[in-house]
Amino acid sequence: MLRATCGQQQAQVTKRLWNMLVFSVGGMKLAARTEDVGGISSWIQSIPVPSRTPFVQAMLKRDNQVMPVYDLATRLNRKPQGEPLLCLTAHHLDGPMAICIDAEVPTLETVDAAAIRQTGRGDIETLGSVTIGGNDVAIVALQRLGQLTQDADRL
Amino acid sequence: MSLRGRNHTTSIPVETAGFLIVCLGASYIALPADGVRGVLTKDDTGDKQTVTAAGTIYQPVDLAQRLFLTADLSGPDMRTVLYSCGHSHGAIRVTQVVGLADVERKDCFPLPPQFQCDERNWFAGMLLYQDQLVLVLNPSWALGGAAAAAAPVSVAQSEQICLAIPAGVGGAC
Repeated sequence: MLRATCGQQQAQVTKRLWNMLVFSVGGMKLAARTEDVGGISSWIQSIPVPSRTPFVQAMLKRDNQVMPVYDLATRLNRKPQGEPLLCLTAHHLDGPMAICIDAEVPTLETVDAAAIRQTGRGDIETLGSVTIGGNDVAIVALQRLGQLTQDADRL
Repeated sequence: MSLRGRNHTTSIPVETAGFLIVCLGASYIALPADGVRGVLTKDDTGDKQTVTAAGTIYQPVDLAQRLFLTADLSGPDMRTVLYSCGHSHGAIRVTQVVGLADVERKDCFPLPPQFQCDERNWFAGMLLYQDQLVLVLNPSWALGGAAAAAAPVSVAQSEQICLAIPAGVGGAC
């Protein structure tokens, strides 16, 4: 009985903590849940693709793997900073997607779910925001990135 | 030598599709080869945009403009591809003809579902050719099929098209 209770408490503690990857785009700090991130690698030249989908207008080819690029920097009216730029592979609901991020190496943070605030920002899909290093950092919902702009286009 | 020692070879049919690979500006585009009726140089066409060949009139198709691409069509490698799709015939000017390719089905992919707008009508899929990413043009749309342009192709439809590569035929990827 006691063991079961301890296990449940442990599960609750684990559940309350979110593992986050903190990265930056054009100097803006952003976070994402680690389970939504497929990996970080060096950025390679993307291949432009004629497209009308907002911010999805290129593809990245690494060996025989091809994935669409989401231009998060342009969406945030920013330009990726530093050299060499990095590539964040997002676990999007529709499949892996590449995002160009700043050269600054991302860091890992663990945050308490209770510290996550809901945000009303409508410019980007988020899971809320959290204070990291004294800054308000938006948690990007990588799985549904692009949904807001496409919904807006359909209206 | 006993019969047992003989090697029995079985040939596994490989499904392929034929494509004419062209450059339009910086983009590589594949045209299903079964619709290609000819490739003309600038000397062949002169200043004419509309081309008549073997009794068929090929109306000019400004593919670069339709795909919102910047392409220099004044270079020495510029070619006009005469293309037919059903009852539609078009003269498509391209920056360069790269070559003809038989592409195996496994090297042909649907457009990723993150591409959700008009481009799903423009392209039937994509393929890798000589390490290049090549977009497979939808000829019905390119030649001005109003019906094809009206309703965007869904992700599921696109995947079905990609899976339906006819063996040895240059159908849509």
